[in-house]
Amino acid sequence: MYRYDEFDHAFVSARVEQFKDQVERRLAGELTEEQFRPLRLMNGVYLQLHAYMLRVAIPYGTLSGRQMHKLAHIARRYDRGYGHFTTRQNIQYNWPALSDMPAVLDELASVEMHALQTSGNCIRNVTADHFAGAAADEAADPRPYAEILRQWSSMHPEFSYLPRKFKIAVTGADRDRAAIQVHDIGLHLKKNEAGELGFAVYIGGGQGRTPMVAKKIRDFLPIEDLLTYTTAIVRVYNLNGRRDNKYKARIKILVHETGTEEITRQVETEWQAIKDTDLKMPQQDVDAIDNYFRMPNLPQRPEGWSQLAAARKADASFARWVDQNVTPHKNPDYGVVTISLKPIGGIPGDATDAQMDLVADIAEKFSNDEIRVSHEQNLVLPHVAIADLRIVYDLLLTDGLATANAGLITDIIACPGLDYCALANARSIPVAQRISERFGKPERQADIGELKIKISGCINACGHHHVGHIGILGVEKKGEELYQISLGGSGDEICTIGDITGRGFSSEEIVDAVETIVDRYLLVRTDKEENFLATYRRLGAAPFKDALYNETANAA
Amino acid sequence: MSDITASAAGELWGREGFREDPYIVAETLEETGDAPAVILPLAVWLGLEESVRSETNRKIGVSVAPGESIDPLLPLLDTIPLIALQFPAFNDGRSYSKADILKNQHQFKGELRAVGDVLIDQVAYMLRTGFDTMKVTHAVTLTRLAEHNLHDAPGYYQPGRGSHTVPGAYSWRRVPGA
Ligand code: HEM
Ligand code: SF4
Repeated sequence: MYRYDEFDHAFVSARVEQFKDQVERRLAGELTEEQFRPLRLMNGVYLQLHAYMLRVAIPYGTLSGRQMHKLAHIARRYDRGYGHFTTRQNIQYNWPALSDMPAVLDELASVEMHALQTSGNCIRNVTADHFAGAAADEAADPRPYAEILRQWSSMHPEFSYLPRKFKIAVTGADRDRAAIQVHDIGLHLKKNEAGELGFAVYIGGGQGRTPMVAKKIRDFLPIEDLLTYTTAIVRVYNLNGRRDNKYKARIKILVHETGTEEITRQVETEWQAIKDTDLKMPQQDVDAIDNYFRMPNLPQRPEGWSQLAAARKADASFARWVDQNVTPHKNPDYGVVTISLKPIGGIPGDATDAQMDLVADIAEKFSNDEIRVSHEQNLVLPHVAIADLRIVYDLLLTDGLATANAGLITDIIACPGLDYCALANARSIPVAQRISERFGKPERQADIGELKIKISGCINACGHHHVGHIGILGVEKKGEELYQISLGGSGDEICTIGDITGRGFSSEEIVDAVETIVDRYLLVRTDKEENFLATYRRLGAAPFKDALYNETANAA
Repeated sequence: MSDITASAAGELWGREGFREDPYIVAETLEETGDAPAVILPLAVWLGLEESVRSETNRKIGVSVAPGESIDPLLPLLDTIPLIALQFPAFNDGRSYSKADILKNQHQFKGELRAVGDVLIDQVAYMLRTGFDTMKVTHAVTLTRLAEHNLHDAPGYYQPGRGSHTVPGAYSWRRVPGA
């Protein structure tokens, strides 16, 4: 993991001191809310429906046991005993008092954390594959590059007042778990024929009210050019992105209106002018950052395999959890464990202070002191020996953290929605809870197989509904909360935006509607191997629309 | 246009502190009489005869709005004494990129000035992207500048003007100081 040096410590402490002064001035009435707003946003403090909210950055979703213990402590001491892990791989606290914010930021700084770059029209916290550095299928760990981008983008003098927020995601595997094609810049770290590392560069992806899949503008960018090329992209965007309409201000609109070829030409021209400047990265610096992310020295634990076989046989629940929540590791004696924050009927992404402490303890003992936050609102233990799976499972089980549903229909992403968010049209969380209960039986979920449901309470799409296999969007019609369904979206390497099925469903109808879709899928799939998305891609929307609208019409 | 006139008010500040502003801001050259230093809108400036622009007995600077391109100025930089880049609102960041292009990519030697909604939290960013001076009207900003309180960071994660490298540090990092 990256560790702060003196430079980073001084930088973050200075920011905290500054913010303390600003909060004091606000509390003393010297600053109005309006004047305070840009200052608090720079420090991750939002004003929500009921209270201030603090969004804490977890760069590329990686944290240590000590940091997780600190997040637990903050939840206990300054919030109501829980925190909410988000699709941005961050954590949000919904209830801290404004007067406590400087103390919270001090606490965070003591474990090398902060809330910078989590809001405002700047380059936001960089996200990455949550299995980075552990997954068997990656070309290289993308996190060193995410860390370099994090540093370079922090308080960037040229890029702090962009037309709109700007999100960068990095993956190091062909199987894209970071949804890079729905980001402003998506970077795919890969090897060329000569075995050298470089990036495929995508720009202009995004969700919100105009969802777009990113366009590839470079197939192979050498590592040394990462910062110069990114500068060229962001500069072209800063100069030409629309500022007349907030909804058209993202780079996706610029790319769309300018055309991929022309924008590529502009980026390349700008890049030619700056590619040999100070931002060209010397290999030694890349190596030095890379060093922080070395694969830990994991002892050989070959005994795990026979133990696992026996433990599986003895306990069907454990076997199901291993099948569903453990992914292959680079080291065959190890696995990557997904800790589901989606208990049946629970609030997606919420974790209590006790749960956070438990995860931190387990990570310290059994995962080389490493934890990840996934953009699917789960936690990950990246380095668990197969031989320790049983004990880790038993420990998780003690506090409701062993739900065996990673990637299944109850592993739902939901934005905060009307329960917290001032922009919401409809509730998201209760819908997620009811769907989860409807499909909660383990056998039923397993039979349905991989199916990603994603729910947003309004068109801003914080819950990624556009890329849900089944997406649910809260809309408002004549004062009523309605839910619109889209099908066939996907945020992975074959990225697609879901198709809207038709008229929306009321809160009472929505869970039945989802069930209707699922039942139709079970009926029309070729066999169990053909998952929902594959079936949808083969057959299109027709059978599902038929099920949703004709049958309900017939029934009525 | 009214942007330019409005921002003619205020005090001129640079790294060395406040100073007299020798320039007057005008819409046309005719209305400036024989003022020794004037700033004209980009379109007007580009319409001047080359011989007038490069007159040695008076300085004719040019003011550029965020939506205007600096490209026509690039071949002429040697003859321009001052470029004023406008910030009609603090959150319109286009002029930062132009500043970097002018000063770092094209080594513009004249005075680069920020005019408009210059707030204290932006001053350090302006200096680092290449601005030499700024025309400040905002009261809090004026007070903080008078106190030499720039709200600056102890170190930067990017190269920029007014900063230098530290031996052994990552190539993109800088600390304040010439
Ligand atoms: C509760 C307060 C929140 C507010 C007011 C809010 C506001 C917004 C707005 C206005 C957009 C649209 C931006 C655009 O299209 O330019 C957006 C997009 C987004 N937000 Fe939120 N959001 C909130 C919470 C969250 C949470 C909790 C998450 C993470 C779970 C999140 C993650 C995202 C993501 C991933 C997008 C994707 C759309 C994109 O980048 O194109 N937001 N949000
Ligand atoms: S999608 Fe809408 S309702 Fe949900 S958190 Fe984002 S802004 Fe709020």
